[in-house]
Amino acid sequence: MAEVFEYVFRGVLIGVTYGLLAYPISLLFVATGTVDLAIGGYAVLAGSVAASVHGWKGFAAAILVATIASSVVGGISTILSRRKGSDPLTIVLASFGFAVVLESVVLTAFGKDPFVRQPFSNFWNLLGVRVSPQAGINVAIGLIILAGVFFLLYRTPWGRSMRASSINPEGATLAGIPVRITRFSAFVLAGVFAGIAGILILYTSGLSFASGLHLTLTSLGAAILFGLGNPLRGFFGGIAIGIVEALSVGLAPQGLGTLLPYVFIFIVLCTGKISRAHIEGGRA
Amino acid sequence: MIRRIAPVLVLVGVIATLTPVIASSASMLDTSVVIAIYSLLALSVGITYGAAGILSVAQASFAALGAYITAVLSIRAGLSPWFCGAIAIALPAAFAYPFARLVTRLSPLALAIATLMFGYAFDIALREGGDLTGGYIGISGIPGIPLVGTSIRFHVLAWSIVALTVLGYKNLLDSHYGAALRTIRHDALRAAADGVSVDHLRSVALSLGAGVAGAGGWLYAHHITYIGPDSLNPTMSLSVLLMAVIGGSRSVLGPVVGAAGLTLIFKLIPSQETVGMFYGTALILCLLIAPNGIMGIRWFAQRASATARKSR
Repeated sequence: MAEVFEYVFRGVLIGVTYGLLAYPISLLFVATGTVDLAIGGYAVLAGSVAASVHGWKGFAAAILVATIASSVVGGISTILSRRKGSDPLTIVLASFGFAVVLESVVLTAFGKDPFVRQPFSNFWNLLGVRVSPQAGINVAIGLIILAGVFFLLYRTPWGRSMRASSINPEGATLAGIPVRITRFSAFVLAGVFAGIAGILILYTSGLSFASGLHLTLTSLGAAILFGLGNPLRGFFGGIAIGIVEALSVGLAPQGLGTLLPYVFIFIVLCTGKISRAHIEGGRA
Repeated sequence: MIRRIAPVLVLVGVIATLTPVIASSASMLDTSVVIAIYSLLALSVGITYGAAGILSVAQASFAALGAYITAVLSIRAGLSPWFCGAIAIALPAAFAYPFARLVTRLSPLALAIATLMFGYAFDIALREGGDLTGGYIGISGIPGIPLVGTSIRFHVLAWSIVALTVLGYKNLLDSHYGAALRTIRHDALRAAADGVSVDHLRSVALSLGAGVAGAGGWLYAHHITYIGPDSLNPTMSLSVLLMAVIGGSRSVLGPVVGAAGLTLIFKLIPSQETVGMFYGTALILCLLIAPNGIMGIRWFAQRASATARKSR
């Protein structure tokens, strides 16, 4: 039982970082109606930059680089969505292409070896489980950003524009809301969040050049689990997926453990709300 | 009638003209077979994405499925590679249909992500497959195909399969199934109102695509004589997607043109690490500049309208 408890704890620890990546995914879905498959790539980029540049400068550089990367995708998506009869799938395809570019860039610039930082040598003892203080930092930052997102979306004019552009882009345009700029700013914000998440992942479980797609898929599952339309729920989705991952890696037989989280996300995806085909009404 | 067989005539004509040149060197023959295999994979993207509008990021996984099936059956069970070929096509297709029924009712976006998820999970399954898949090491020593021992014969076999696929694909597009698929791609609601069984038909398209990809995997396994988890991995899915998009995913010969062009160009890339940069950038540039691909650009139509404007 203590073992299970420990896995759950570890799951929460890593799940918070998935939650952090789930915010930008749902934020972008709310704002633009598409999914950016390069999100994990920004986090990996930020993590590897933070690993090679020391101290606060490294953190700043990491977030900056991730933001630049996400702005590139934002720019591409702005151009693509300008086209008449544009298909959200084209943007997904382009972001997938960019994810591959990022993976290759990180591989070329920082090499094959995984990066990990574990600065704490003293552990907290929580109900008999050894917990790194990093867990506290992750949860605290996750909650601060949760509050920040809530404030941004529901208490600022920018958030109102964002929600308006997602619900009814034509109406928002008529009301004088700069829909394209609002959407682009969602990409920039997504880069900031992904950058922070990348740094936290570096200090929690570590990452390598190839983790990008895994991070994207896992946090996508996190974002979908409790409803993609609401960025605030992604945090708890992330924790849930983290727990599933930790439990299946810890308890399932070797080999199956890495596969199970994907099966779980796949089921979530197939039964989730965004997945309902809109054949009856909306012409997707 | 001539319209229906025009693409395959063009293809066979070009290949037949080039064959004497290609046959003169072993490396060119090898490249030609590789292009034929990639053409099959790109054609499978053409069928699923171009014709049915299903963005599947897992076509290489279906090819890998075919390749592993033929590897396991021909080595472990000692079955004839020809017989294995039939299974390597049928099994991915048979597997893809229920998979498609599960995912094609999703919204297009969720569908794309579901295929990505499948490709990734399949990749892990191959690596963790133990003795069956050979794990990280893969399976080597796959026998050649009887009667096609020489490279030139393999070249003819590979391109014959491509030609047959092109012929079948063009005929499918020109049939009433093709018309229904076009309607679905344009407007699924309208297609449903017309009495088209949307889910079924899209699933059939994905299943056909998987079968074509399986044929590519079969050729791959017997050509390279080795199959491992890195041979037909998710990155390969992107490459073939790129080939189809650059060539023109909605035209019949577009994927073949894209496969040939990109294979020849990417032979020039020096290091393995930077391949992703080229692929990704090329895909994005293509989406930005020529979203319909090389074969999708209306070379003649534009010129015609320009002259029409002049004469007015």
